[in-house]
Amino acid sequence: MLEYAAGAQSSRLAGEVDAKGLHDVVARQKGRVVLVNFWATWCIPCREEFPVLVKLQKQLAARGLQVVGVSTDFAREMKDVERFLGEQNPDFPNYHKKAGGDDQDFINAIDPSWGGELPFSVLYDRAGKKVKTLSGKHSYADYEREITSALK
Amino acid sequence: MRVSRRIALAAGLLAISLAAQAAAPAIGSAAPDFSLTTLDGKTFSLAQAAKSHKAVVVMFIATKCPYSNAYNDRMRDMAAAYEKQGVLFVGINSNKTEPAEEVASHAKQHGFAFPLMKDPENKVADLYDARHTPEIYVVDPQGKLVYHGRIDENYEDPAHVASPDLKDALNQLLAGKAIAKAETKAFGCSIKRV
Repeated sequence: MLEYAAGAQSSRLAGEVDAKGLHDVVARQKGRVVLVNFWATWCIPCREEFPVLVKLQKQLAARGLQVVGVSTDFAREMKDVERFLGEQNPDFPNYHKKAGGDDQDFINAIDPSWGGELPFSVLYDRAGKKVKTLSGKHSYADYEREITSALK
Repeated sequence: MRVSRRIALAAGLLAISLAAQAAAPAIGSAAPDFSLTTLDGKTFSLAQAAKSHKAVVVMFIATKCPYSNAYNDRMRDMAAAYEKQGVLFVGINSNKTEPAEEVASHAKQHGFAFPLMKDPENKVADLYDARHTPEIYVVDPQGKLVYHGRIDENYEDPAHVASPDLKDALNQLLAGKAIAKAETKAFGCSIKRV
């Protein structure tokens, strides 16, 4: 189980990450299928899609899914991030991308085929290997199909 | 080989070739030609525009994306400044959720003096594998793609841009130099495709 203080009083975020930190988070989940989703409070399709992620975690956690959210919001938007997470109440951890450095280094380190569009998701299998990327907003059915294929 | 297997093989090869066409054009390769109708009813042809300008800057933009909107002033100012040097900036809106009237009033509100066009069914966005707004493609007079990516690295603060990538690319191109950083990336709102 990912170390995560549900209902933490001070912040709903699990921490700050750069690309290496995020890879460490994923690596700690070996044995589970991990869906990393990059979002921002200013990204409307990200907000529309988020309840789908919340539902995926609820429905598929027992079968081995771990969703991990990463907010790319700026530091000045953190109040919006906290409010959004409070409204959505996910059962999965959400990290905040560390400020500093060039965004394109982060984007390329996550996946060279990622153009930087949000939302964007990366699926890792139980061995921690990247198996799929999903660009833009997707339906529950789309995610479920890819996840259950990796859960085998 | 049995007929059914031959058909399956042909179908597989066709699928692969179609998928290959969907990828972004490589830097240095021919920029895919396209024609679109501008908001004021004229026909814009990339091939024609490239031949008659020092460069064409194709910008995929949005009306409702904070990332794209953060660059409104920079787009307006750069378009005006580089026009004097023979560079044509054009704006393309491929979002199915943003109709022509909205694109027009947004342009008026922000003082855009460059040609704008809707991209019905995001066909041009697909041709270029454009993923988000804003996203920039620069085409030289030979119709080659010479730059693809962002305007600069700092969406938040135009006064403290450390990496003015589009300006650098245009200045290098106009000076006859090779473009040092021809591919860049930034976050942005995904294009709302059909």
